[in-house]
Amino acid sequence: MKIVIIGASAAGISAAKTIKASEPDTEVVIIAKEDRVHSRCMLHKFLGHERDVKGISFIADDFFETSGITWLNNTTVIGLDTQKKTVKTHDNQDISYDKLLIASGASYFIPPIPGLRESKNVYGFRDLKDAQLLDSECNTAKNAVVIGAGLVGMDAAVAMMERGLKVTVIEMTDAVMSLQLDQKSAQAYQQRFEEHGAEFILNDKVVSVDVDEVGRGKTIHLASGKVVPADVIVIAAGVRPAFGFITGSGIDTNHAILVGDDLQTNIDDIYAAGDVTGIAGIWPNAMKQGRIAALNMLGEKRSYEDRYALKNTVNFFGLTTLSLGNINPEPEENCEIFICEDRHNYQKVVLKNGVVQGVIIQGNIGGTGFWQYLIKNKIDISGKNKDVFGLSYADFYDQDQQTGEYRYAV
Amino acid sequence: MKRIIIDREKCDGCLNCNIACISAHEEGSNFYTVNMLSPDAETRNFIKFDAQKGYLPIFCRHCDEPECVLSCMSGALEKDPLTGHVQYDESKCAACYMCVMNCPYGVLKPDKRTRTKVIKCDFCDDKVDGPSCVKACPKKAIEVKEVSL
Ligand SMILES: Cc1cc2nc3c(=O)[nH]c(=O)nc-3n(C[C@H](O)[C@H](O)[C@H](O)COP(=O)(O)OP(=O)(O)OC[C@H]3O[C@@H](n4cnc5c(N)ncnc54)[C@H](O)[C@@H]3O)c2cc1C
Ligand code: SF4
Ligand code: SF4
Repeated sequence: MKIVIIGASAAGISAAKTIKASEPDTEVVIIAKEDRVHSRCMLHKFLGHERDVKGISFIADDFFETSGITWLNNTTVIGLDTQKKTVKTHDNQDISYDKLLIASGASYFIPPIPGLRESKNVYGFRDLKDAQLLDSECNTAKNAVVIGAGLVGMDAAVAMMERGLKVTVIEMTDAVMSLQLDQKSAQAYQQRFEEHGAEFILNDKVVSVDVDEVGRGKTIHLASGKVVPADVIVIAAGVRPAFGFITGSGIDTNHAILVGDDLQTNIDDIYAAGDVTGIAGIWPNAMKQGRIAALNMLGEKRSYEDRYALKNTVNFFGLTTLSLGNINPEPEENCEIFICEDRHNYQKVVLKNGVVQGVIIQGNIGGTGFWQYLIKNKIDISGKNKDVFGLSYADFYDQDQQTGEYRYAV
Repeated sequence: MKRIIIDREKCDGCLNCNIACISAHEEGSNFYTVNMLSPDAETRNFIKFDAQKGYLPIFCRHCDEPECVLSCMSGALEKDPLTGHVQYDESKCAACYMCVMNCPYGVLKPDKRTRTKVIKCDFCDDKVDGPSCVKACPKKAIEVKEVSL
C-alpha cells in the first residue's frame, strides 16, 4: 500500500511515524512546500537567535532515511484527482496514492487594510521562511509593529524584543491573549512585556498604512487617531485552514476540511488531520489526529473525539499559565467562578452544575494535566465534596491490575 | 517493557521514594547527604493522601500511548522503542509545557527555579540495578515488573 501525506509538520510527521512503526512495509511519501522540517512553535527561538534552523527541527536529522520515507520537499501540491487517485504538484508530477492524508495545516492572512497588503515589509509568522525574512529585517530595523496580541503575535514580539527592537503591539480587544486568559492573568503578562520594553495599544485597530516610495509601510494609522512608526510589521491576526488545492475534488469543506470521528473525509481513502480540519489549532491535537488518521488508514477503527478547542499553555519570561475551556463565561451562562490567589499564583475554576467548564492556572502549573481530562470528559466533580483547588489525579486514582497503567475512576 | 508496579495498599507515605529521586538527580549526593532544600530539589514521583483511600503513589507510567510524547513540539520527549521508556532530552525542550497540560495523571511539572525544562521520570536511565525510588521503598509498595508492550 502507498500512503501519500501532504504536509510535513505536526500531523503529517506524526502520521508517517505511526505508519512506519506499525507497518514498516507500507510505502510513505510526504510532500511539503518547505525546504526542511521545523516546529513553528519554536520560530520565536529562531528569530530571537536562541536557536539555529537545526535547533528548531523536531525530528532526527536522518529521520527520512532511517524510517524509509520518501520526502518531497520544496514541492507544492496544486491539485487532486480523486478518480485517478493522484496528487498534482507545482512541477507537474502526478503522484499516485492508495490512501491520502491531507495535513496541510493553516496559513495566515493579511486583512484588507489600505496600504497593508501592498507594504513590502509586512510579514506573517507561520513558517521558517517568514522567520528568515523577518530575521534579515531585524538586522537593520529599529521599530517593529505587531498587529494582534494573540499567542503568535506575542511570540513574534518577544523574539524581536530579544533582538533589541522597539516593539509596539496593537490589539483590537482590551487585553493580550484574550482567547486564553482573563483580565487578571493577561495583565500579568502585559506587565512583564512592558518591563522588557514593549508597548501595547489595546482597544484599537489599524485603519491604514502609509507606504513610502520604495513600497515599505512606514506609518501606521489607528482608529483612535494614533500614529505608530514602523520599520517592520508582523501581522498576527489569525490563521485559516489551508486547502486551496482541493478545489473541485468534491471533498466537503466549511472553512475547514470536514472529517468524521475516524478523520476520513466524505471521499473514501482521503483523510485529514491537524489545523486543516479546524478542530483545534494546537500542536498536540495535530499530532494526535495524525496518529489516529494513520491507524485508521491502516485498517484500525480509532475515533477522535476531542473536539473542544480551547486549551493552551503559555510561558513568557518564566511566568507559566495553563488555560483550558471556557474561562470567561458570560453572566447568562450561570456558571460558578472560584478564584484562589497568593503572591505567586492565580487560579480560576469555572463550574456549571458540578462540571468543570474552564480553568486558568497561572504560576505553578506542575501536575495540572488532570484538568484537561476532567473538562474533556465532562466529569461531574460535585460528588468529591472537596475544595476544587485541592483536586488532583489522586481523586480519580485507579489502576489496571495487569499492566499497571493508570485509569480514571469516575 | 519494565514498569514500576504500584501496590498502594502497602504504601505508608514515608516519602523515601521522593528523597531517593531527588538524590538520584543531584550529582554526587546520596540518600543521607542530599540537599532537600536546594532550589533544584525536585521529585519526579508524588505521594498523595486521601482520607478514604489512604496513600496514593503517583509515578510516571511510561504509558503505552504516552500523551506527553504526542504533545511534544520539539522532539524532546520520545518513547524508546527498545526499553519502552519515555525519555526526555532537555537540550531539545522549548519549555512550552504542552506536555504538562497533556499528561492525564498530572505527573509532569516545569522545574521550579528556571521554568525552562520539564521534570520527568527517566527510569534512572535504565540502570541495571533499577530505579532509585524502588530500591528506597522499605515496604515494597513499588516494584519493577515486566509488562507486555
Ligand atoms: C508562531 C507559532 C507558535 C505556535 N506555538 C504553539 C505552541 O506553543 N503550542 C502549540 O500547541 N501550538 C502552537 N502553534 C500552533 C501549531 O504550530 C499548529 O497547531 C501546528 O503546527 C499544526 O500542525 P499541522 O501539521 O496541522 O499543520 P502545519 O504546521 O500548518 O503544517 C502544514 C504543512 O503542510 C504543508 N503544506 C501546506 N499546503 C501545502 C501544499 N499546497 N503543498 C505542499 N505542502 C503544503 C506545509 O508546508 C507544512 O509542512 C503555534 C503556531 C505558530 C504559527
Ligand atoms: S508523563 Fe504522563 S503521559 Fe507521559 S508517560 Fe508518564 S504518565 Fe504517561
Ligand atoms: S515543554 Fe519541552 S518536553 Fe514538554 S512538550 Fe514542550 S518542548 Fe516537549
